[in-house]
Amino acid sequence: MANLFKGNGPLGIKHRWWVLLFIILNIVSVVLIAPVLPHIQVAPENVSHDPLFSLPVLGDFYLTNTLIMLVLVDILIVLLALGVRNAVRDNALSPKGIGAAMELAVEALYNLTETTAGKYTKTIFPWFATIVILVLVGNLAKLIPIGETFGVLHETHGEGHAIRELWAGGPVTLLNEKGDYGIIPYFRGIPTDLNFTLALALIAVVAIQVVGFKAQGPAYLLKFFNVTNLFKKPFFGVMDFLVGVLELISEFAKVLSFAFRLFGNMFAGAVLLFLISSFAVVNVFFPSFILMFEFFIGLIQAFVFGMLTMVFMAQATKGHGGEEHAEEAHAA
Amino acid sequence: MTGDIVEAAKFIAAGLAMIGAAGAGVGIGLSVQGALGGMARNPDAYGNLLTNMILGIAFSEAIAIYCLVIAFMMMFVV
Repeated sequence: MANLFKGNGPLGIKHRWWVLLFIILNIVSVVLIAPVLPHIQVAPENVSHDPLFSLPVLGDFYLTNTLIMLVLVDILIVLLALGVRNAVRDNALSPKGIGAAMELAVEALYNLTETTAGKYTKTIFPWFATIVILVLVGNLAKLIPIGETFGVLHETHGEGHAIRELWAGGPVTLLNEKGDYGIIPYFRGIPTDLNFTLALALIAVVAIQVVGFKAQGPAYLLKFFNVTNLFKKPFFGVMDFLVGVLELISEFAKVLSFAFRLFGNMFAGAVLLFLISSFAVVNVFFPSFILMFEFFIGLIQAFVFGMLTMVFMAQATKGHGGEEHAEEAHAA
Repeated sequence: MTGDIVEAAKFIAAGLAMIGAAGAGVGIGLSVQGALGGMARNPDAYGNLLTNMILGIAFSEAIAIYCLVIAFMMMFVV
């Protein structure tokens, strides 16, 4: 921990004049180029005009801005992995820099898994850590300050903003007046795309079933179609069977709750940031606070997504046969 | 005129959808209350309680987030 934050002062901010510089830069940029409220839509925007390719049943596939962001996030994760590999290569007792940070995080996650999953830790931990790291990098990449502000100009036919060239022949910016141009940003945070969160939720829930089958074999199906007591004790047997059917439904509810929780949190954050940034007076300092809040939310949501996957996997490894009717964590 | 009515109905519907956030607020308050009570009685359990409290908050918050998603869909999709 100590070698993470070298330098003078708290958190190693040696050159705190940078903060002042950024504040001045913030004020100047807001005054010179007034931010405008972008067009908000739930579906990711298509950057390309023509579809990349078409499939017979599914339809056209466009290059969306969340797809570009996903590639960026993947590159970031690969760089992170290479950095950690460099840091731990010389077998030092305590790695430095990025290696130390990742060691801290991975150790914390591993211990958490061990307390919950017991002897299945080695099966469950990779899923947990992968999901946490992917969602965390995705959530934080959304917060790169000017990330979502530049993009392709397109005509909106009366509903957009007027444009102005920054200098002759240079890039253009939107003005706070009615016009017919809009900007489709090149980048947009991946968790603000329902496709990403839904795909991740499907992967997580399928992986939960796989872990369950690995741990219990075919007996895992008894959790859903509980016929053990159906003929011995008819009344309670039927009750158990109905509970099993409820379990089956809750597996599908898990997909929805995983997907919508992450999507809702992140999209709400993006909209909040857009709205605050486009108000006239508060757009100097308040976006910074919102960004800080969003950093926290991104951290929490990444942790929650991974943690829930881990807890559900740990539950799936435990048999459902009578001995423990622990709390049925129906997906909220 | 009809367009205006549709527009107004969208905003009203988005507002109505957010009523569900009240329940989530109560839920988050209750879970924090329980966790703080536990921390006050047993300060050693602080870390464990904090983790589980945040998990519980995320669960309750998810309900409000569903409402928010519906409201967003009203305003930006339909």
